[in-house]
Amino acid sequence: MKAVNLIPSEQRRGAAVGVGRSGGAAYILLGALGVLAVLVLLYGMARHQVSDRKAKLASVQAQAQRVQQAATSLSAYTSFQSLRQQRTQAVEQVVDSRFDWAHELHELGRVLPHDASITTLDGSIGAAGAAGAASTPTSGGTGSSTPPGSVPTITLGGCASSQTDVALTLQRLRLIDGVASVSLQSSTKAAGKSSTGATGANCVAGAPSFTALITFDPLPAPSGKSGSGTELTASTGGTK
Amino acid sequence: MTARDRLVIVAISALAVLAAVWMLLVSPERKKADKLNTEVSAASAQLATAESQASEAQAARSRYSTAYASVVNLGKAVPPSEEVPSLIYQLAQASNEKHVQFTSISTSTSGTPAPAAAASTSTSATGAAATTVSFTQMPFTFVFEGGFDDLYHLFRQLNGATVRTASGQLQVSGRLLTLQGVKLEPATADEAKGGSQQLTGTITATAYVLPASQGLTGGATATSPTPASASGSPAATSASSGSSSGSGSTATPSATIGPVR
Repeated sequence: MKAVNLIPSEQRRGAAVGVGRSGGAAYILLGALGVLAVLVLLYGMARHQVSDRKAKLASVQAQAQRVQQAATSLSAYTSFQSLRQQRTQAVEQVVDSRFDWAHELHELGRVLPHDASITTLDGSIGAAGAAGAASTPTSGGTGSSTPPGSVPTITLGGCASSQTDVALTLQRLRLIDGVASVSLQSSTKAAGKSSTGATGANCVAGAPSFTALITFDPLPAPSGKSGSGTELTASTGGTK
Repeated sequence: MTARDRLVIVAISALAVLAAVWMLLVSPERKKADKLNTEVSAASAQLATAESQASEAQAARSRYSTAYASVVNLGKAVPPSEEVPSLIYQLAQASNEKHVQFTSISTSTSGTPAPAAAASTSTSATGAAATTVSFTQMPFTFVFEGGFDDLYHLFRQLNGATVRTASGQLQVSGRLLTLQGVKLEPATADEAKGGSQQLTGTITATAYVLPASQGLTGGATATSPTPASASGSPAATSASSGSSSGSGSTATPSATIGPVR
């Protein structure tokens, strides 16, 4: 006699719980549907993002074009502003590259000993590296006639009461602001009534006439401080 | 076909469908969104640049009258033409103030006005992007007679016509001059013997002029940076800028030389 198992096949021991007749395929399909739903959601979000971005892009581009047009319509003002800046800078460079002769004359008067006097003064600005030369320096970036590196020199002719005073004068001349070197070219004491030096100076009898060369530091390069952003100030009065 | 085989087939099919959906629909759309995102960023940067330019232009417009006055004022230091009469007037005025006798003025023997080394390009205010401005040099020799102190004050005043203040600002009250050489000697040989204080001061100096291609204001007027007539050539604007600027400012080179005439 053949035994018959009356327990329903789903409830028999060892059988997968909940698998059912489909053998689990239904769950797989359900899972796949779930994932598909997520994918659809992602797709929808991406689509929304795309349309959103497209609208934003069009808006930003239109706005940029409008602003650009506005800027272009005012570009003449910007150009004029830059013209002003460049011109101011150019003038500033020339101003900064100048040698202050007045200051050096003031210094000369300050350091000169009482027993010495100046009869002639010949100052010039020579080319870079040519101390003592009176050649015209080459033009700088903005066309300054005294470009950076030019070396100012002053040839002094004068009288002193004695050779010692000539030495003292040379020492004192070194105290002038910006002096690089002071060299004596001649100091002659005439035997006669008056002495005439190389510069033609007529000194009193017995007093030596001397000629000295003062060499200043080379003119510096224009400083970085630019007042191009600053306002020009107009002045009608002179300085005294 | 066993149940297990069916299960595997179903699983593989589902995975294939999902992969296809991802690759054909979701992924391209996301890439598209990313690309658009980048484009939006670029456009935003472009907008920011344009806004910055616009605000700069607005600021330039609001400062235009100041800038125009500055440029015209700079014309006193470096005029668009030689303006020798105004230079003579300035020297005569300075020498009078400092009690110095203005004996002579001559163009330097070193030659004609020398164009500067660096080139300049911009001729119009609307031309933008001008490179370095360089000036044309005008060498002169001036001769003065006076005492040492007076000559010293005169040299100060000549330098002080265009000078930088302690705060770094440019102060323009006259022609920009670079003194290249200074020679002081007794006014006469007899005076030298007698110890007279009178000296002859010979100054080698350089004045500057704007390049011929540039007008004083590049064609701009007191009210607008663009020339009134679009057909105006740079040369024409250069020639007319002196007079046009005169109407826009109280201090111009042409106004300065007025008394000489």
